[in-house]
Amino acid sequence: MRLILIVAALSIPVYAISQPNCEIYKSSNEPCYTACLLSIRATGPQGSRQSQKDFDAAIELCPSFDYAYFEKSVPYLKRGEFATWKKLIDKAVELNPIAHLGYRGWCKYQFLRDYRGSLMDLEKLESVMGDDIGYSMNGDYHLEIVKALCYKGIGDRQKAIDIIESQLSKPEYSPMPYDYLHLGIIKMEVGDVGGAIELLNKSIQYSEYLPDNYYYLGLLYKKQGMIAKSKSNLEKARAYYQKGYKRFDPYTHPMDQVFIADIERELQDFD
Amino acid sequence: MKQFIFIHIILIALCSCGQNATKTDFEYPLQVGDITFDPEVDDPSFKLCDEERVLQYYNFGKGLQYKGEKPAINEYFLKSVPISGASDDTGYLTLRFVVNCGGKTGRFRVLGIDQGYSEREFSADLTSKLLKATRQLDGWVVGEYDGRVFDYYQYLTFKIERGKLIEVLP
Repeated sequence: MRLILIVAALSIPVYAISQPNCEIYKSSNEPCYTACLLSIRATGPQGSRQSQKDFDAAIELCPSFDYAYFEKSVPYLKRGEFATWKKLIDKAVELNPIAHLGYRGWCKYQFLRDYRGSLMDLEKLESVMGDDIGYSMNGDYHLEIVKALCYKGIGDRQKAIDIIESQLSKPEYSPMPYDYLHLGIIKMEVGDVGGAIELLNKSIQYSEYLPDNYYYLGLLYKKQGMIAKSKSNLEKARAYYQKGYKRFDPYTHPMDQVFIADIERELQDFD
Repeated sequence: MKQFIFIHIILIALCSCGQNATKTDFEYPLQVGDITFDPEVDDPSFKLCDEERVLQYYNFGKGLQYKGEKPAINEYFLKSVPISGASDDTGYLTLRFVVNCGGKTGRFRVLGIDQGYSEREFSADLTSKLLKATRQLDGWVVGEYDGRVFDYYQYLTFKIERGKLIEVLP
């Protein structure tokens, strides 16, 4: 029973756009009201034959109902059938670009590291929405930070730094747990060791137990010849990792994620 | 009341589709991504614990489960068995397969897309190299929950640019 529950929980789309309010169709559009109810019913057994058929029925009843296309696309994404996923999510974007462009851009980045494709979507959304383009569907990032990671991915690290610094400087913005971590790593990659150390220490204020912070600090101190500090940070990274504190996504791996093998390899230098 | 009757009729009509062996029954597998045994390409000695209940890798809530985690997979594909293809091999090649309840793999299927996400085939040489290398991976962790073992679907996607393997996902 517990397994059924965990499978069911993971089948419910983590990457879900919020469920529609069917009541708005109730008095004005009966076919779309029915399509909406059908789609909500179909969301539970995600990826099943009946679910996919229910979404088809919903689309037939209400061809402009973008939510049905979006939900129908999700199992294809999670199961590696990206061509089918793209056809369906494209239709959702066509019908309702503001609701789905950010999601599609995020998925291109997170599932395929399609940096240029992701940037096209996120920048298109930005052209409509201004710079308040929302958050990644797993809740880890503001999509401005995802844009920055895409620029890093295509090799434009300075642009990545500019975007993250600009985002962090906005008074209304509350930093997310990995913003300073990524900025610190990019600064490290461009050779700004002092800046990177400062940012990673700041990152610890947001995610105290994250081994990644200590791992990258360990690398930086090693580079500076500060062996004791390097070793103590790497040991802290190992201890937190072994306690289970690590970045996690059930479907993919976050960019620059640190694993125990990375930490152990660096610690071997001190043997 | 009229609205209620209309919706009721529609829902009954839609639900009744599942009770007959209509054409639409065969348009979708029982689950998106299901791989059924094909005697022409699959190894008959590869057995599943439960053909009716093959989970997805993410159902265990542990992400990709491989001994040595993602670095072991990266090390293998990007360093130990360097793989390259033809100059026009650009896009994403996905291998979807089953990890059975003993941690063995089988029923490999190839799915390719170009940079615009349209289906495409990659060069036979690259495809066979990736298939061979993936079949040889032997560190898959048995899908286990609450003391029971399960078969599950896993996939690996290879990001390829001009024949060069850039990244292994997920």
